Amino acid sequence: MPLLPRLALRQLRSQLRTTEWRALLLATWIAITLTTLLTLLGDRLERGLLRESANLLGADLVLSSSRPLSNERLDSISAHDVQTTPVVQFPSMISNPAATETPPMLTSVRAVESPYPLRGEILTQPAQGQALPGKGEAWVEARILEQLGLGIGDQLQLGYSQFRITAELISSPDRGSGFRSFSPQLLINRSDLEASGVLAPGSRANFRLLIAGTAEEIGALEAQLQPTLAEHERLLSLQLDQPLTGDTLGNALAYLKLAALTALLLSALTILLSLRRFSQQQYTRSALLLNLGLNPGQLLRIYLYQLLIAWVVLALLGLATAASLDSAVQSWLSRLLPQQLPQAAALAWLSGPALGLVMLILLGLPPILSLARVPVAHLLRGDTPPQDRRARLLQISCLVLLALTLLLFLRAPVAALILLALLLVGGVLFGYIAQAMLVRVAEPLARRLLLGRLLRLRLRQQRRWHRLQSAVIVLLLTLLAVVWISRADLLSEWRAKFPTDTPNYFVINIQPWQKSDLDRFMQANAIDSALYPMIRGRLTQLNGKPIRPQLTPDQLGDNTLRRELNLSWALDQPEHNELLAGHWWDDAPELAQISVEQDMMDDLGLKLGDRLGFDIGGQQVDAEITSIRGVEWTSFRPNFYVIFSPGALESYPSTWITSFRLDGERKRLATEMLQQFPSLTLIDIDQLLSQLATWLKRLGDSSAMVLGLTLVCGLILMAVTLLQALEQRRFEAALMQTLGASGEQTRRLDLLEFLLLGLVCGLLAGLSAELTLAGLHLALLHVEPKLHPWLWITLPALSSLFFVVTGFLIRRPLQLDQCYRLLKAQS
Amino acid sequence: MDQSTLSPTMIEARALSKHFDTEAGRVELFTGLDLEIARGESLAIIGRSGAGKSTLLSLLAGLDTPSSGSVSIDGHRIEALDDQQRAELRARKISFIFQSFHLLPELTALDNVRLPLEIRGTDNPEQDARQWLAEVGLGERTGHYPSQLSGGEQQRVAIARAFATRPSLLFADEPTGNLDEDTGGAIIDQLFRLNAQQETTLILITHDQELAMRCRRRLRLHNGVLTEV
Ligand SMILES: Nc1ncnc2c1ncn2[C@@H]1O[C@H](COP(=O)(O)OP(=O)(O)OP(=O)(O)O)[C@@H](O)[C@H]1O
Ligand SMILES: [Mg+2]
Repeated sequence: MPLLPRLALRQLRSQLRTTEWRALLLATWIAITLTTLLTLLGDRLERGLLRESANLLGADLVLSSSRPLSNERLDSISAHDVQTTPVVQFPSMISNPAATETPPMLTSVRAVESPYPLRGEILTQPAQGQALPGKGEAWVEARILEQLGLGIGDQLQLGYSQFRITAELISSPDRGSGFRSFSPQLLINRSDLEASGVLAPGSRANFRLLIAGTAEEIGALEAQLQPTLAEHERLLSLQLDQPLTGDTLGNALAYLKLAALTALLLSALTILLSLRRFSQQQYTRSALLLNLGLNPGQLLRIYLYQLLIAWVVLALLGLATAASLDSAVQSWLSRLLPQQLPQAAALAWLSGPALGLVMLILLGLPPILSLARVPVAHLLRGDTPPQDRRARLLQISCLVLLALTLLLFLRAPVAALILLALLLVGGVLFGYIAQAMLVRVAEPLARRLLLGRLLRLRLRQQRRWHRLQSAVIVLLLTLLAVVWISRADLLSEWRAKFPTDTPNYFVINIQPWQKSDLDRFMQANAIDSALYPMIRGRLTQLNGKPIRPQLTPDQLGDNTLRRELNLSWALDQPEHNELLAGHWWDDAPELAQISVEQDMMDDLGLKLGDRLGFDIGGQQVDAEITSIRGVEWTSFRPNFYVIFSPGALESYPSTWITSFRLDGERKRLATEMLQQFPSLTLIDIDQLLSQLATWLKRLGDSSAMVLGLTLVCGLILMAVTLLQALEQRRFEAALMQTLGASGEQTRRLDLLEFLLLGLVCGLLAGLSAELTLAGLHLALLHVEPKLHPWLWITLPALSSLFFVVTGFLIRRPLQLDQCYRLLKAQS
Repeated sequence: MDQSTLSPTMIEARALSKHFDTEAGRVELFTGLDLEIARGESLAIIGRSGAGKSTLLSLLAGLDTPSSGSVSIDGHRIEALDDQQRAELRARKISFIFQSFHLLPELTALDNVRLPLEIRGTDNPEQDARQWLAEVGLGERTGHYPSQLSGGEQQRVAIARAFATRPSLLFADEPTGNLDEDTGGAIIDQLFRLNAQQETTLILITHDQELAMRCRRRLRLHNGVLTEV
């Protein structure tokens, strides 16, 4: 081996014993592991959901609509040289007819006809080849079999029909978008659809046309369809509108990456401090090597080799750790994800080591360059050369570059930038606030206690260390508290927010001819509920003129204009809506009257007395706004933007909806209702919520893992700074003892300092955790923020304990006779 | 004032021995040293490097324990005192000046001078500290940090710090060792001026002939033996 790498290796090996190198290695290791893990996960999700979206879509192009596709539409598509097949997907409750006590289960049903799918393939157990479920047959996912206690060959009840289960669905493309893709899936033959009676006019369903063809044909068709899409139609293609990304999983991943940012920043800080200290210790050695005839270039290379050797070892170690963590996460997620994730691209394995290298080089270059420029005269003077402007400039540009790299890696640059800024500003702010608080606390102590007077000087002397330490510990504790509390509490608080009479069942798709029977059923069983008709219509006119030209571009983007509205009519004001202005129906109006929801009024700039025109099934209906209602959208009750006075909408086709609450024993009424009215769609809100809860819990678990790594980073950082401060503290203790203090006095001073520092940091962390949690409550859950009193006790206790324990673990007792020697040694 | 302050002897060392047991064997610095230092006296200890001057100084100051023999400071036998009592004794009577100043870099000149006053819990520490800084000619630089001061100025802060507690006993280990000749001279002038003014007992170690000559008494430590010169 040539001389320089050999020297570097020797140097590295001997420095492995120093704290700063151990800290540096540990921090780099964590950074590499975390980065690799997140990139692997991200890549696999992306490949699973994006690059294989042809499989996922089951086609090259999908026309998706909330209404049956018109013949015109179908004709215009079949004019192209493409293959097509229709699919209907809808939510439905299914049950086990052989076990009536088992509660029914909400599933997503797909009725398909051959050929299906056009891209990708359906995997079943036992394998069915290219076939589809035959007449009277159903293929279902394992979750359905498990929950309903069914097996292959058993019957299941869907609407009025029974189906024989002939295969277990293992994976299938075209699961649909959004939440329905997460519901357990059930596949039937389209020819059975009508008989089941679950799909009547006006029912909630998704009608899709899968389309496959050459890239040119698809491109041409897409270009033709796109401008002609109606409100209720959407076009899903490979590039556009991925069914899953951007939703839950994309958010989850972005969230994890943001959580990782803290860990990466802490590692960077640790590496920075370690390297700075390392280079300070190397000044003399460098000057000596230069004096012995090495030139600066060679010296630079030695230190670079040293970093590189360390990096190679760490990269391998980090990759191995990331791989094992990756498989752990994989097994966590596997039961939740619709399909097995594909392997990550080979390139994804490079990201972690690459980021690690960038970190080491960017953070290492400035101190190493200054080492190579140490004047030999340093040997004579023995002082640390002052940093010149160029060195500082280099350091700043390296830090900026590093920040850019991190932002790039996180891929959500805006969110990451905001978080980065928040963390940095927050850190600096917390540091200064903590320091100011400490000084405040010391003032009254100084008036009463001798120790307090010393404390005041100590605070001044250790102010930099206090700032750094409190910034880090406050941020860490905040993170810890927020993740800890939000993991469990956000969901339960959110649930607790609903009063106990909040409905837990929703019934939709009630046909008009079923209404009176259903009313009777409800009354007979004392189920408290009100049925509301639901008519689809589009808002088209305002005060007799088309509405669109009268609105600002912002208002045009409003939800109430973009899609069809669910309209309703009612004699009485809904109990769960508050009347904010106007009054409920006049007796003899010349025009139909409507009550409009407040947000819609505000968003569209409407006022009482305005006339709105709706297009309902091609016919124009006009009405005057006579009242404004406040609506609690999350109340799980039928809610409408617009409610008409009776008489205006009765003649239009409608379905009815209702919601009610059933507890304990009475839950079996839901099963009975479904047996009596098989075509109803009953939605079990508890089931939906527990699915959501599972997701939130997994998300919490994953972020807890990232948080764990972040905490380790934080602890290493603390240890490094503590150890660095230690020598200085020993020196200070020695000096204080020669100046007349006793060993006991310096010990008590340390204890007081650490205790106060811990208390102040804990209080600040409590404050920032409460603020963050309040923000989360308001922004995400829309619930009243509440205080967490025990945070204010545990956090200060925890951080005081932390400081005192680490402080005293690391602090070696200083004997009196060592003092003078220590001071002599420093000269 | 307690009884002991009336005694004319400030330090009394009897049959003082010190040796270190190292891996390479026993290092015998001196055995059976006897030494008496009168109140208000100024004493220079000179000798070759490694002769054991600093060790002797730390023994006389009660910072280290002798292998055998005894040291009394102002009538108090050091061996008989516990840690707390020794700290008290140091606090009441003793100050140090070091070759490399040993100011705390994060504290201003003012706070550095103030530190021993705070340790003692005296009234008006800030006012005293200011006064002492003015005394050594640094009245205008109270807010400066050690890194903003020259070596000589730093040593003057150290001198202010040493005298601020009005010690009856001042130890200085090569106080001019890190300074050039002129600056060292000025520092020495200051040291002796304050020493006379405060009637302090001064014990200093030096390699500087001129400095040694300004002391009333000179002792050479050589091969474990102290001789007056
Ligand atoms: N703790 C110790 N363990 C072992 N040997 C020691 C210890 N402290 C001092 N010595 C040795 O005692 C001898 C005297 O040291 P000391 O510092 O007292 O010398 P000095 O006369 O002050 O020298 P200088 O003029 O260079 O400061 C030296 O040889 C030193 O190596
Ligand atoms: Mg010495």
